[in-house]
Amino acid sequence: MNPDDPDGELVRRVGEGDVHAAEALVARKLPRMTALAHRLLGDRTEAEDVVQEVFLRVWKSAASWRPGAAKFDTWMHRVAFNLCTDRLRKRREVALPETWDAPDPAPLADAEISAEQQSDAVGRALASLAPRQREAIVLTYYQELPNREAAALMGIGVDALESLLARGRRALKARLEEADE
Amino acid sequence: MSRMDLNRFETLVAAYGATPSRWPEEERDAAEAFARDHPRAGALLAEADSIDALLFAHKAAEPSATLRAMVIEGAPRKRRLAGRAKLWWSGLALAMAGASGMLAGSAASAALEPISANVQMYAHEDVPALDYSAEENVL
Repeated sequence: MNPDDPDGELVRRVGEGDVHAAEALVARKLPRMTALAHRLLGDRTEAEDVVQEVFLRVWKSAASWRPGAAKFDTWMHRVAFNLCTDRLRKRREVALPETWDAPDPAPLADAEISAEQQSDAVGRALASLAPRQREAIVLTYYQELPNREAAALMGIGVDALESLLARGRRALKARLEEADE
Repeated sequence: MSRMDLNRFETLVAAYGATPSRWPEEERDAAEAFARDHPRAGALLAEADSIDALLFAHKAAEPSATLRAMVIEGAPRKRRLAGRAKLWWSGLALAMAGASGMLAGSAASAALEPISANVQMYAHEDVPALDYSAEENVL
């Protein structure tokens, strides 16, 4: 067992069929995986489908889980990330929803905008970003992965990740300003 | 400490934002020192901070109770060892009862036919825990 992996012991117990350990792992990872899938896909139903699939794979793999270089959380991110990007690829192959790239015209900074409205506006701006920019921002800012892990997940170098992050941040700000005008 | 100049600081802040804890660990000390000393750092950080605030205004979707229940439902579970153990103990109890009955019968025979007692003793000497000569077993 990798002593540096904060999830290692829990996963070992899950592999032994300890349902309390499974519940603890779900409590620890479900919000994180749901947030990741929802932000990448921009669709709650699809995100929940992905999360179910991620946990099915966790349950199947727990008994034989042998940590190598990657931590369990990183492995889960890889599974979820690949499932999301597969869905996004299929979505692009079929047809891009008309609204996908269009920033919502709803104003953002009008006098007293509620936190919920602001969250929705940022969510729409996030969904309107180029997919790779969105992936970089979601992994780095919301999932808080170290830059090397985020870059490795995306199959790019750290320099390319930094470029995507910078362009994504600028684009996000521009979309929100457009929406605000 | 790694080397930091204005160009790298701009890149760092444009990518990772204004919060030092998000900066790459190996460059954090140098970047923080640069931020303290360089006159342009403040403006760059303020610009980045405004974008950070926008980003973190987004609240993540919470998993529904239904999703949580469905996920947990699929978790691996230990086999019902308690039930199996109960069955095993019942079998053992039955076997013991059978053995007691056999021994009781043997002891009764021994009591009725003292001459064959030694033969019965040899036949059951592999069951030392049972005192088959006791009254309750004989009767």
